[in-house]
Amino acid sequence: MTNLLEVRNLSKQFTSSGGPFRRARAMHAVNDVSFDLPKGRVIGVVGESGCGKSTLARLILRLIEPTAGTLHFDGEDLRAKSPAQMRGLRARMQMVFQDPYSAIDPRYTLQRAVMEPFVVQGRKTIGSEADEVAALLEMVGLNPGLASSFPHQISGGQKQRVGIARALALRPSLLVLDEPTASLDVSVQAQIISLLEQLRDDLGLTYLFISHDLSLVRYFCDEILVMYLGRVVEALPDTELAARHPYTKTLMDSTFAPDPKQRRVIAPLEGEVPSPFDLPPGCAFADRCPQATDICRSETPELAERGGHPVACHHPI
Amino acid sequence: MLEVRDLQVAFGAVAPLSGVSFSLAKGETLGIVGESGSGKSLTAMSVMGLLPLSGGRITAGSIMFDGQELTTLAEPAYRKLRGGRLGMITQNPMTSLDPLQKIGPQVDDVSRLHLGKTAAEARARTVEILGTLRIPEPALICDRYPHQMSGGMKQRIVIAMALAADPDLLVADEPTTALDVTVQAQIIRLLDDLVKERDLALVLITHDMSVVAQTCDKVVVMYAGRAVERGPVQAIFDAPQHPYTQALIGCIPKGLSEDEHLIGIPGTVPTVLNYPKGCPFHPRCDRAQEICTTERPAFVHNGDSAAACHFAGSAP
Repeated sequence: MTNLLEVRNLSKQFTSSGGPFRRARAMHAVNDVSFDLPKGRVIGVVGESGCGKSTLARLILRLIEPTAGTLHFDGEDLRAKSPAQMRGLRARMQMVFQDPYSAIDPRYTLQRAVMEPFVVQGRKTIGSEADEVAALLEMVGLNPGLASSFPHQISGGQKQRVGIARALALRPSLLVLDEPTASLDVSVQAQIISLLEQLRDDLGLTYLFISHDLSLVRYFCDEILVMYLGRVVEALPDTELAARHPYTKTLMDSTFAPDPKQRRVIAPLEGEVPSPFDLPPGCAFADRCPQATDICRSETPELAERGGHPVACHHPI
Repeated sequence: MLEVRDLQVAFGAVAPLSGVSFSLAKGETLGIVGESGSGKSLTAMSVMGLLPLSGGRITAGSIMFDGQELTTLAEPAYRKLRGGRLGMITQNPMTSLDPLQKIGPQVDDVSRLHLGKTAAEARARTVEILGTLRIPEPALICDRYPHQMSGGMKQRIVIAMALAADPDLLVADEPTTALDVTVQAQIIRLLDDLVKERDLALVLITHDMSVVAQTCDKVVVMYAGRAVERGPVQAIFDAPQHPYTQALIGCIPKGLSEDEHLIGIPGTVPTVLNYPKGCPFHPRCDRAQEICTTERPAFVHNGDSAAACHFAGSAP
């Protein structure tokens, strides 16, 4: 299997400039992330708010510039491309955004919204190719008659379908899905997920699926990357593998089984994700980890195969 | 503690809510579940007496709270009850707190108003409540502003405000929808402990069947402004009778089996202006027959649970 996407040591550092009463601070939103995404696979990136998963998505499409690391898409070095070349390449790599309510211009008809990628790529002019739009809307399960509607006239689930149709307009091979169902009802979420499954099979798509819902990721994805404060802490090559990082285990324990018989006294993780500014040395999870020892507070564990799949922990389970 | 009978709500000529009944005792958690637009929040607002704010009114039915009829209660009396013995937790903690006021005074106000505490007593009580909600360094938190806190922390403050006047009934409207899964687990666990420790009655509104499975004793499933199924949680999950309940349970990814398939529920919830005739669910139901399009199904009782479906009891 060839790799559609190869990410090596990707990092993004944001700095807040200091002022008269504040010193300059730096945060590593994404820190030394490496992975391969083979053609036709679905990799899930999972973690809490602020773990850097959305930043990672934007870095991969170079919507923001990485601070360090390399990105190869279908053999091409993305970081060596000029903005114009990058724009051409993005026809083959598209993104579906989290909030369908703000991802579509409220003054555009759905027809115009779905046409937008063609306009950006200079391929077509507005008003032409109504058939193309109709075919795209149909592909995502929308009635082509909706083409002249405005976003406020349709539901959230329908908007997300428009977002997917727009992403598919240029026939990309890679879709980056940034929490595409986070703002939707569970019933609509299930519809969107089954649509994405069907599109993957029909069009041979490759997905990078970003979510905070581990049970959804385990259902939908082939591989899982677990992120915590900008780093990949565990890479599960198979969704059925047991967690070895205490953080992944906590995430798994936090998901609710839809069965009152399996009601468990969840021992929830105390505390919350610490501030990503000026992180202390050592493992970022040490403060919340029940198994933390002295070494965890002094040395940052590397992501390495410790008998099994890669995990970044001094004391894997 | 709370008994709602045949509640009907109207906005002008349209009736978005009708025939909703349920009851709840102390120390019990009742889940109201359904998709957006099914009338869950409207039910919560009716109980809290907040309908007039949005121009709605209760046209039929009764809401009994601890032996007191709430539908005919005058606003000044309601105001004493609401925030006092009737606590509410809203969906979005980001918008439930005053961004210009420190945390401490916001929580203090509740016990000063409802329990007549002095400023010092109220602050002591606030600190104590924040402590029981496992908020670290409660005394320091009182001097913070909402923007200095995370979403999970803000939701705890909102819960603290609901608890400050020692309520008997707590209505939580999607309390964890805006939160991360780990924080959701913390908040759900916290609510569960509160129900047991304080002998509270909790109405938990959610669209997520897995939250219901983990926390509730009883369930009311709502669709298009009506209760379509109700009963003890175990019975509902063991043998859901209404196709809508079955579909909602089917929306949750269960585990890792390869042949498991999420299908979702085709179509969307009807808006109040075009509620279908007959069974409101029939346009989206794969078992719908002729009778479903014309006749509204009555509740079919089965033990403690009941479902409003023509084919309840004959489920595959």
